[in-house]
Amino acid sequence: MKYLIANSTTEVLEFLKEAGGTASILAGGTDLVLDIESGKKKADVLIDVTRIPELKKIEEVDGFLEIGAAATLTEIHSHPLVRKYFPSLVKACKKVGSRLIQNVATLAGNVITAQPAADAGMALSVLDPRFVLVDEEGTRECYVDDMYAGFGVSTLDSGRTLMTKIRIPLPKENEAASFQRLELRKSLSLPMLNVAAMAAIKEGKFEWVRLRMAPVGKGPVRAVEAEEWLVGKEVSEETFERAGELALENANPRSNPLRGSKEYREATLPVMVKRALLEIATQLNVMEG
Amino acid sequence: MKERLVTTVNGRRIERYVDPSMRLVDFLRDELLLTGTKIGCKQGECGACTIIMNGTAVLSCIMPVMKAMDAEILTIEGLEKDGKLHPIQDEFIKGGAIQCGFCTPGFIMGAKALLDENPSPTSEEVREELSGHICRCTGYKKIEDAVLKAAERLREEKDD
Ligand SMILES: Cc1cc2nc3c(=O)[nH]c(=O)nc-3n(C[C@@H](O)[C@@H](O)[C@H](O)COP(=O)(O)OP(=O)(O)OC[C@H]3O[C@@H](n4cnc5c(N)ncnc54)[C@H](O)[C@@H]3O)c2cc1C
Ligand code: FES
Ligand code: FES
Repeated sequence: MKYLIANSTTEVLEFLKEAGGTASILAGGTDLVLDIESGKKKADVLIDVTRIPELKKIEEVDGFLEIGAAATLTEIHSHPLVRKYFPSLVKACKKVGSRLIQNVATLAGNVITAQPAADAGMALSVLDPRFVLVDEEGTRECYVDDMYAGFGVSTLDSGRTLMTKIRIPLPKENEAASFQRLELRKSLSLPMLNVAAMAAIKEGKFEWVRLRMAPVGKGPVRAVEAEEWLVGKEVSEETFERAGELALENANPRSNPLRGSKEYREATLPVMVKRALLEIATQLNVMEG
Repeated sequence: MKERLVTTVNGRRIERYVDPSMRLVDFLRDELLLTGTKIGCKQGECGACTIIMNGTAVLSCIMPVMKAMDAEILTIEGLEKDGKLHPIQDEFIKGGAIQCGFCTPGFIMGAKALLDENPSPTSEEVREELSGHICRCTGYKKIEDAVLKAAERLREEKDD
């Protein structure tokens, strides 16, 4: 195996080209190192992208928060701009493994790993993020639904394409987001169920809602039925209740011997949806929490 | 193929040719013979292998050795000064926060990184920040107390 430390985006592209598909980009390595050991992934060359200054930046640019792909989860959840605009993302980043994991793991890696229950990627998914990707052909932007190919499989080929940053539109005054996690213990345990939501509320009614859940399918799954039904509905306990029931129509959770049976997950999902919507309403001072 | 690694461990500059598929913890233990850093799970789950790299606590068991390139590394062996234990080490001993001792180097390095960044943590913060460390002996309470005691001592030493 060869290990290359890249100093710029251009250098990453050169290294990738030279390796002709046998390389893999490496960020914190908290997934990749173990995946290579278990034989799940292969790489003859590792290209370490964590020393590229441009990829470490977190900044506000033209109405977007831009998070460099090599920024660690600790750098993200302790950053004043992230704390100011995206408390639900802060909460989720703090849920990934333990502080020791967060000190090296990245948000980009959490998305590209494409584990359906990945916490940070899940909270991010409802914030309408744009992923900036660079390869031989140039630069392009992708949305959440372009990123997930299957269970633990990304559409991004880390042997050819580099994610440089994640751009998130800043929330407007009447918009808020929430991240809910059902867990066995507070750290070092993967979630039994995750629900993320973002909504705009105007005059006591939902203008729009983005609602996603995991692990109930491939990547963060949209609760489309609930999302559509919620538009124009009064912000109330009954509305949350109905939305929770509708969310089940798009959820197909599996039984997991450690993290809950299908039946248990189906019984708790509506409660998580309710909590997420209530938290949004509380943040926007429409209801009391 | 071996690659050239230049790094600083406990203040000592080190230059070696290493197999890049090696983990940092194996380099520390097998090549530098710094066996104070322990291996519990080698999966990132237990914290026994915690070291400080460029001021941050990290798990050396899931870290490729080449991440140490040009870095400043501190291991448990680098904590004592002139034969005197670091206040965190001292408080762990005094407070009975050590039984078998296997988790101790990891806990102490995690605590050091925490106190360097936040000299007056609450017990809630100590619990959250050190939640990546597993101890099967002490029941954690004495560890939490030792870290808070050490924090107090370090603050006093600073004021003197
Ligand atoms: C003990 C332990 C506990 C964990 N607990 C949780 C948990 O509770 N919740 C959770 O969500 N996750 C958990 N994880 C997984 C989490 O650490 C990872 O998903 C992490 O976020 C991945 O980021 P990374 O920087 O380490 O990625 P890496 O391992 O470096 O890379 C992951 C994948 O992404 C690719 N990649 C990374 N960056 C780029 C880029 N810029 N461009 C192109 N490709 C890229 C790599 O090639 C690789 O395929 C845990 C991991 C461990 C070891
Ligand atoms: S040995 Fe590194 S976390 Fe267990
Ligand atoms: S003292 Fe034995 S594992 Fe902690």
